[in-house]
Amino acid sequence: MKPLRLGCLALCACLAAAVSAAQGVTLPAVHHVELENGVSIVLIEKHDVPLIGLQAVIRGGAVSDPDGQAGLSSLLAGLLEKGAGERSAADFAEAVDSVGGSLSARADLESITISGEFLARDADLMIELLASMLREPRLDAAELTKLRDRQINLIRAAKDGDLRRLVPYYGSAFLFTGHPYGSPVFGDEASLANINHRAVRGYYEDFVGADRLIIAVAGDFAADAMAEKLTAAFADWRAAVAPLPEFEAPQAQTSRRILLVDKPGATQTYFWIGNVGVAIGFAQRAELDVANTLFGGRFTSLLMDELRTKAGLTYGASSLLVRPSKAGSVAMNSYTKTESTVEAIDLALSLLQKIHLEGFPDDLITSGKNYILGQYAPDFETAEQLAGQFAELAMLGLDESFVNDYGDAVAAADGEAIRSVIGDVYPTLDNLVFVIIGDAELIRGDIAKYGPITEMAITEPRFAP
Amino acid sequence: MAFFAEMRRRNVFKVALLYAVGSWLVVWFVGAIKPDVPLPACASTFVFTVLAVGFPVALLFAWTYEITPAGLKKAVDVDQTQSIVYKTGQKLNAAVAVFLVLGVLAVFGQRLLPKFEFLVPGVPEGDAPVSEQAPTEIRSLTLDNGLKIIVWPDHDIPNVVLYTFVRAGGRNEYPGITGVSHFFEHMMFLGSGEPDPGAFDTKMETAGGANNAYTSEDVTVYMEWFPRSALEVIFDLEGDRFENLATVAEVVNSQREVVFSERRSAVDNNNFRKLAEQMQATAYVAHPYQFPVIGWPSDIEAWTEEDLINYYRTYYAPNNRTVVVSGDVTAGEIFELAEEYFAPTPAQEPPPPIRTIEPEQQGTRRIVVEAPAQTPLLHMAFHAGSATDPETLPMSLLLNILTAGDSSRLHRLLVEDEGLALSVGGYQDEGFDPGLAYFYFTLPPGGDPGVVEQRVLGELQRIAEGGVSDAELAKARNIMLADYWRGLATIDGKAEALGQFEVFHGDYERLFSLPDELAAVGADSLRDVAAKVFRSSNMTVGVLQEATPEDGE
Repeated sequence: MKPLRLGCLALCACLAAAVSAAQGVTLPAVHHVELENGVSIVLIEKHDVPLIGLQAVIRGGAVSDPDGQAGLSSLLAGLLEKGAGERSAADFAEAVDSVGGSLSARADLESITISGEFLARDADLMIELLASMLREPRLDAAELTKLRDRQINLIRAAKDGDLRRLVPYYGSAFLFTGHPYGSPVFGDEASLANINHRAVRGYYEDFVGADRLIIAVAGDFAADAMAEKLTAAFADWRAAVAPLPEFEAPQAQTSRRILLVDKPGATQTYFWIGNVGVAIGFAQRAELDVANTLFGGRFTSLLMDELRTKAGLTYGASSLLVRPSKAGSVAMNSYTKTESTVEAIDLALSLLQKIHLEGFPDDLITSGKNYILGQYAPDFETAEQLAGQFAELAMLGLDESFVNDYGDAVAAADGEAIRSVIGDVYPTLDNLVFVIIGDAELIRGDIAKYGPITEMAITEPRFAP
Repeated sequence: MAFFAEMRRRNVFKVALLYAVGSWLVVWFVGAIKPDVPLPACASTFVFTVLAVGFPVALLFAWTYEITPAGLKKAVDVDQTQSIVYKTGQKLNAAVAVFLVLGVLAVFGQRLLPKFEFLVPGVPEGDAPVSEQAPTEIRSLTLDNGLKIIVWPDHDIPNVVLYTFVRAGGRNEYPGITGVSHFFEHMMFLGSGEPDPGAFDTKMETAGGANNAYTSEDVTVYMEWFPRSALEVIFDLEGDRFENLATVAEVVNSQREVVFSERRSAVDNNNFRKLAEQMQATAYVAHPYQFPVIGWPSDIEAWTEEDLINYYRTYYAPNNRTVVVSGDVTAGEIFELAEEYFAPTPAQEPPPPIRTIEPEQQGTRRIVVEAPAQTPLLHMAFHAGSATDPETLPMSLLLNILTAGDSSRLHRLLVEDEGLALSVGGYQDEGFDPGLAYFYFTLPPGGDPGVVEQRVLGELQRIAEGGVSDAELAKARNIMLADYWRGLATIDGKAEALGQFEVFHGDYERLFSLPDELAAVGADSLRDVAAKVFRSSNMTVGVLQEATPEDGE
């Protein structure tokens, strides 16, 4: 077999490059159902395992939290699980757990999302529970108090835990101060304490309703029967009352500023350095993804290679893009032992400058594209993933070409376009927002050279001053 | 029209028809054997191209030449009265008919002959599963050097997952080299170091692949996720790093720093892991499960190149590993790649067995870890069984009843009803040797760990005496069954599950009897295992909280 393989490989190399380089994804066929009250339903049959994945999205989310009450939509999401219709909180949890299912609600920046996964045989029960939690939640005052106090304390617990999780929240809060995107999705200790039962109930009445609901279900069912069930469950639901808040895209920072968060005794410094980035609808998504993959989106990315593999300064370094409906953030993210704080930050800054000056060479660009395409299909493998993908497309008002054309767009991205996207999206060294968490006493003096410092303690009940 | 008549006379149309039918047969055949024979990915493209290029050539040939009793001659040179084109035409018709019949037979025949592997001598077929529940497409093969490979083909997405289980982890270490198993995970990311330390990942990611690994007390597991087109690259890289790992000093030293950084984030600046490390060091007094997998800092600093080389030779030998592949592949092609890239590495003497058995605990052990903390932590651990212990499945069900979901006993009691804890969790080690059944609780600021401990012990006592209800048991079974199917919904989950069962149960097929085994566990066995394990003399309790200011200072 070997000579054949070698001969064939040589001959096919050029053909293959032309014919099948792009391993894009083509979304499966779906059934769309639009109810008269505005509920939008997407159904995807998938029969490989006896599971069903479900995602119900209500447009709105943390950006519609009232001033000073960040975390309100997050608390409402939590409260949706705490009893509905005939079922108390305990009964509701028992009903979901007893069939081995999951049905949990969370708030995101621009939506409240209920995710479910369950055995196909339990579809009737789970849809009944979904409809009940959305349409007739008890919103019990005592449950709210419990949930709110617990959420406050879980934030404190997170500050005692691995800070890698929290750094991006400090980053967003400080970068977007005064803008809805700066409001932490799960709130902070101070804002949560301001939220009372009346506010949560009012929010539910005003902002939750059929015209904002998207339901995507994928898995082992017959689409017709599932459409009937969902129609019966939601066709006569009311619409939301209040309009969703309108807001402008955030403005980029045009100088430097630093937030130093003091965690006494920390042996490690965590840093997040970024600025305002782009929205989900950004036209050159493929070029930006290639650039970000090469800069800080994979193991051999520039940031990882220099900070971890070559310098041994850290376990991880990455570049994060957050892309909501309006411009989100772009940031470098890493951590290092306290003594090497300045060395690591200097190195990260020099790499940011390097991509502005040099872009990436062609062989790396090819590599980055292959990586994106090679890792793309597994995002669409399970029923739960498919439900999530379709729900997100519908939520953002995007059509299937967002996925179906992506492979070709990545394959077509060229060095020139990628270079220009880097210039457009990544901040220059003059315009940066820093969040640095560590033992302030040991690093305060050294990091002063990066710009004006605002300092706060990690125990302060918020994520930005 | 005269031109077309002449084309027809020279049998050009019949040749075209014959070519078309013949091509269809060839294309069909290549397609039919593709799932079973290790053809390179571009084989179809190649065949199709050759056939397409050949079509005008064949027509030109048919036009130009003519078959005569004296052999092949140019058509223009043949005396038309002597021409036998008509007879040739009849033969062509007959050939078309034969090809069509062959084609029909083959298409139907394929349904009767599910596998074409017999057509290609020398490619091992591997062993099919024996049990009825296991999917029939799974195959396994053990190479001469002892390396076992299990393949689960799944063509849902054009991707592949490769897992390598190395039977080496924290339990194979001793004071002085603790953390070395985990350190190897890092060394392996650097591959053979040729031509430079980053080359392994560069090649992998350039081919569209990604990789990661984890180390536990029992095993080190390497995962690769990649598009089908990267198969050969991955096998090449994997074969190379398991045979020629780089242990050069500068690489070792840079990785020491990386591991320290990991330790600082994951343990030293993370209260949960900080307490868990001390719990393990306390719950065991003899067995090597007492060592932290990431290693004690002084050992990370101190191990030598010689330690590393010895460890690699012993534990990374093919007879101490198992490979699982799942995804868009055929068993045949994987076995052939394995023969080529994995077979050359020689087997080694099997590693020495772990002799130490943890002696029976003689009474409650208590520790306090002092650290800056707004929220105190409470951990409770009990010595329980190993992966193959018959009590392990009942214990899993029991831990589900106690801690899984908002309706679980401990969540409801401590979080919802009494507000004594912010979160509860529980798990059980399922390793080669008897491990721990482990509970962990995050308390609100000012929370009293002693009160929580008493509530937990009360609940455990209730189960040891009164057992669980049928509804609770049914719920726990459903949770585990749904998790089971969730795990098998991805090629990644399939590979991981096959490997776990093969390595820890000695037989991947047991994976498929798990639903039946779950159904067979009775409520009595849950009560029995609770009574046996949840005893105060078998318990280690740990608390993490702020240091209390001492008097007089």
